[in-house]
Amino acid sequence: MEVTMDPLFLAWSYFRRRKLQQCSDICTTILQDNSYDQAAWSLKTRALTEMVYIDEVEVDQEGIAEMMLDESSIAQVARPGTSLRLPGTSHGGGPTPAIRPLTQSGRPITGFVRPSTQSGRPGTMEQAIKTPRTASTARPVTSASGRFIRLGTASMLTNPEGPFINLSRLNMAKYSQKPNLSRTLFEYIFHHENDVNNALDLAAQATEHAQFKDWWWKVQLGKCYYRLGLYRESEKQFRSALNHQEVVDTYLYLAKVYQRLDQPITALSLFKQGLDHFPGEVTLLTGIARIHEEMNNIPSATEYYKDVLKQDNTHVEAIACIGSNHFYTDQPEIALRFYRRLLQMGVYNCQLYNNLGLCCFYAQQYDMTLSSFERALALVANDEEQADVWYNVGHVAVGIADLTLAYQCFKLALAFNNDHAEAYNNLAVLELRKGRIEQSKAFLQTAESLAPHMYEPHYNLSILSEKIGDLQSSYTAALKSEDSFPEHVDTQQLLKQLREHFSVL
Amino acid sequence: MPEVKSIFREVLPKQGQLSMEDVPTMVLCKPKLLPLKSVTLEKLEKMQMEAQKAVKLQELAMKEQNQ
Repeated sequence: MEVTMDPLFLAWSYFRRRKLQQCSDICTTILQDNSYDQAAWSLKTRALTEMVYIDEVEVDQEGIAEMMLDESSIAQVARPGTSLRLPGTSHGGGPTPAIRPLTQSGRPITGFVRPSTQSGRPGTMEQAIKTPRTASTARPVTSASGRFIRLGTASMLTNPEGPFINLSRLNMAKYSQKPNLSRTLFEYIFHHENDVNNALDLAAQATEHAQFKDWWWKVQLGKCYYRLGLYRESEKQFRSALNHQEVVDTYLYLAKVYQRLDQPITALSLFKQGLDHFPGEVTLLTGIARIHEEMNNIPSATEYYKDVLKQDNTHVEAIACIGSNHFYTDQPEIALRFYRRLLQMGVYNCQLYNNLGLCCFYAQQYDMTLSSFERALALVANDEEQADVWYNVGHVAVGIADLTLAYQCFKLALAFNNDHAEAYNNLAVLELRKGRIEQSKAFLQTAESLAPHMYEPHYNLSILSEKIGDLQSSYTAALKSEDSFPEHVDTQQLLKQLREHFSVL
Repeated sequence: MPEVKSIFREVLPKQGQLSMEDVPTMVLCKPKLLPLKSVTLEKLEKMQMEAQKAVKLQELAMKEQNQ
């Protein structure tokens, strides 16, 4: 006779080995036999939650509505150094846009993208809609209609018998009395169903049942309020939770609230407070570094990333950020060492090989350059990445003066991503060298309309127009270039020259 | 072979001013290091792709059923 294992035990074993689908299937059969089996029910909710679980600390997506119709801002124009929304107000001696490329919002590009890496606050509604996202999807209208909802509905669609738990028929009051079931149920509602209203309901009743003494429920309440956009309420809950129990996560959530309220200084002091209780905690240090980076204070961000590496020398984000900083401060050899370290740690993707290729080229290790780029091209996941890699290969080609190859590379970049403004600009420069003025002008105008935040197309257009004698358009273009990069010396000289011309007339 | 004396001699001024004209040239956009993606972002993207695929498959199945 065959001895079979107890199905619930087997399901637990699957769960521990993260074979979540099998675990959930076994629980389903157990529940078909006995629909009142609480252990199986609870385990199934946990398995389903784990399938779609993402660290809530990391997740942040600001929708257009929140950005443009912001009620929590106090002043229209914040004082310099107190806001995340004014890029470039505090130049702490970091590299200028002449060396380090900018993102759409006028921040220097970072070495690492996280879901919360804001592409900044666009000034106008039109720009907000046009701003590309890091994760290649369009910005949602509000964060409530963002990725979470889409994921939630998808999980429901794939279940032919409908959702596992019918939330509208659930007796929240009954479940909130049972501490052993309520927590898994809450996480299921919050992460799997993305039904924040019901989750809030459950959390509120459960915290009442615990006589407002349970820090865990307070943190969950805070998370719900945050998702609903009630930042002040969520701040209150997190603060109260911290009074009961000092937990690193709560500090991180609270700092997230302050960042959303655009109070980076408060967030920084909160992190420091957290570091008093948890000295050397990596996530808190990373948080500080990120804020410094978003406020465009690259040198002190690097300092904090170095502190992170002292605690945890395999921290990918810290290594990548320090590496990119070295690259853009003219030390590609050192950047190369950081990126090589990442490779040793087992990071294996297109971005890393692309960066290695660039570092090798600028550190004069020519033998590795092209093979790195070849690998990067072999590993690309989407067209945008492919375009960026070809764009960088184009730079290598410019560096070895193979202008035909450079021309083809930039063309390829455009073939993969038709909105690649940098490639348009560089093509325009190459076209002008060939003497094709009209073509060059057309490319520059395209680049200008695609990326008004970059100074290069404006400046180039200004020079081009000045050369062909169109002083008026040269002047307007130079003014735009000055707008996006006020410290650019050549623009200033050009403007001065033009003004002298005009005054003579 | 007798050495050919070159007719032109190089001129290296030992004193006086050196002048250089600074001509404004077009600027290229700079090379772009690609930012690495965080684990959470990768997971989010993967989940979204899978969800979209699942929805598409289901819609196809629905269409076939209706026909």
